[in-house]
Amino acid sequence: VTAVQAPPRAVLTRLAGLRHTSPGRLQLLLAVLLVLTALTGVVAGLTAGSAAAGTTDLRDRAQPLLAEAETVWSSLADADATAAQAFITGGLEPPALTSRYDEKLAAAATALTSAARRVPEDSEGAGAIRAISTGLGEYTALVATARALNRQGKPVGASYLSTASQLNRETLQPQAQALFLQAQREAADGYTDSRSSWWLMLLLVLLVVLGVALIATQAHLSRTTHRTFNLPLLTATGLTVLLALVCAGVFGHQRARLTSADRDGSAPAEALAEARNLALRERADEALTLAARAGHGKLEDDFALLRKRFVVSGPEFDDVAALMTRAAQQHDAYLAVHDEIRALDDNGDYEGAVRLAVSKETAATFDGLTAVLGEAITDRRAAFDDEIRSAGRGLGALTVLGPLLALAIAVSAATGLRPRLEEYR
Amino acid sequence: VSRTRASTALAVLLAVTGLTACTEAEPTAKPEVSVAPSPSAGPATAAQDCDPPDRDPRASLRPEHGTQITAGSHMQKIKDRGRLIIGTNQGTVLFSSRDPFTGRIEGFDIDMAREVAKAIFGDPDRLEIRIVPNALRMDRVEDGTVDMVVSTMTTNCARWKRVDFSTVYYEAGQRVLVGKDSTVQRIEDLGDRPVCSVAGSTSLDNLAKVNPKPKMVVRSDYGACLVAFQLGQAEAVSTDDTILAGMAAQDPYAKVVGPRFTEEPYAIAIDKSHPEFTQFVNAVLERMRADGTWARIHDRWLGGTAPKPPAARYR
Repeated sequence: VTAVQAPPRAVLTRLAGLRHTSPGRLQLLLAVLLVLTALTGVVAGLTAGSAAAGTTDLRDRAQPLLAEAETVWSSLADADATAAQAFITGGLEPPALTSRYDEKLAAAATALTSAARRVPEDSEGAGAIRAISTGLGEYTALVATARALNRQGKPVGASYLSTASQLNRETLQPQAQALFLQAQREAADGYTDSRSSWWLMLLLVLLVVLGVALIATQAHLSRTTHRTFNLPLLTATGLTVLLALVCAGVFGHQRARLTSADRDGSAPAEALAEARNLALRERADEALTLAARAGHGKLEDDFALLRKRFVVSGPEFDDVAALMTRAAQQHDAYLAVHDEIRALDDNGDYEGAVRLAVSKETAATFDGLTAVLGEAITDRRAAFDDEIRSAGRGLGALTVLGPLLALAIAVSAATGLRPRLEEYR
Repeated sequence: VSRTRASTALAVLLAVTGLTACTEAEPTAKPEVSVAPSPSAGPATAAQDCDPPDRDPRASLRPEHGTQITAGSHMQKIKDRGRLIIGTNQGTVLFSSRDPFTGRIEGFDIDMAREVAKAIFGDPDRLEIRIVPNALRMDRVEDGTVDMVVSTMTTNCARWKRVDFSTVYYEAGQRVLVGKDSTVQRIEDLGDRPVCSVAGSTSLDNLAKVNPKPKMVVRSDYGACLVAFQLGQAEAVSTDDTILAGMAAQDPYAKVVGPRFTEEPYAIAIDKSHPEFTQFVNAVLERMRADGTWARIHDRWLGGTAPKPPAARYR
């Protein structure tokens, strides 16, 4: 043990010995400055790199993944509602509903393919995506069979449809929800990674220590020599201040943009997407309650919960306040129609309830609601894109500029100290 | 169109399997279905459930006032409400299923209920149909959600403990539906193999008693069982022959095999709190048996030569 410890101890003793001579002290100061500068340069580059990577990941992966997960979930709920509406309409499926259903399934499949590229192979999200893909194929096949049987007038078609709906609601939608929650967590992590707070703190400490070391060196020189100022060392100090300012500017800007990207983009877009999802599930509950033809049941209870959760007022909706006023009105209008549908069904007029539920007017009221919410979501996602693009600005340059400035500081410091050292030769 | 085709298919099927033949089955070309079902292979109800033990579950309450609507009776309440609410299902083709073209629920059971509505209102359309899963039929009768359940429901002593039943309006029995090329001859051949039936049905209870025991595939209605059969999740479906006939009518690759191994007398379930309504329904059934309405409905849905309607038995 002592054999191993001996050489470093000898080095330390030699270094400690340097303290006692004037040139020794200068040599020590130069070494400290060079090490600090090198560290500062490396950390500045790494911090900028980490923040840039985090921001890019948030912009190009986590946030789109969240949008896609929401599309998958909403499309599944919409397809389920559409299939149920086509079913209760009776007879041949109305072409408008058929194409809406096909559209929703295509949207879900497209979003799923795209989401698959944004999650690591062995992650929880990838598992959910694989399960949904498999189930989606099965679901599509069941609905296609139901349609073919319906076309032949075979009542078992209805059973295929309810088997499909059960698969959608009890397996696919919970998986889509799991994917959505996973994407939400990844987006939150994306913000944390983009801020790179630990790297930034380390950089701040290094910059302060480097500044203090430079000032201490100059104080020592002006005490031991007759020169008050050492120009190269002053330059080094100035460059350090410049590096600190550039870092403060770039990272300050990035953090401010990230905050507004979250506040004005992600948070409202997410809240709006959830509102749209709630509305679509309400409509599905309504159609499935009628399809089950069992009167007020579990799904209507679910509707009562969903309608309470549908809230489109609050600080996160401030930027789309006008749209949200319209959305709230549309939702109230839809709820009024829904209550009328329930009253008809509960009072024995099932046919009347179905007619109202699948009427053009009801569809227009509901589509009006989802259209307003869709418009607001597009608007907030655009705001996010603007902010996040701006947040990334300067980070790439700083990755290079940071180490370059550090190199300049090191050269200046060495230039300032070398003539003093040579005086002792 | 579909109904005609379905009932034709059923008539053929009944002829082939000898379902309606009370004596001897017609000789058929197909050896695998030539085994005529014995009309009564076992007791329909678990006698140990009956209290007293000699209680006949087929015996119902004797009508006292015919189809008269007495003051303060449940019939009066229905009349004031303006519609008769019945519980049934929408997946039992020929008895109670949804016509894909019109979206209306139709079948033998529905026509039985329409006759009751006609007796109350003079209008068979004064009917509200609620779909009730088999497992919840007695709950819905008890909690008053529906006035009566007409849903291929077997009357037995265990169920009499919770609800009242009308007299028997149809005699069915449990058999097995398998694929066209299956070698299965009877339910006992399906030990440890997946067989579908419906939760809350006597069919499922009966399957549990079969030795060797089949592997149960449980669904919420018979339509879902046919789906399970067609998707290969179940190798067979076992329930009442009438229900199986409705499935076979929709699936040319299915056949009904084996003897009836139970008796399933169908009756209408009504809440115990208004026996006068049960008596009223019995009076309606009595009239239907006598004036040929029962035979007409049988002919409409089940085709073939209508057998004699099940005789009413009273306590």
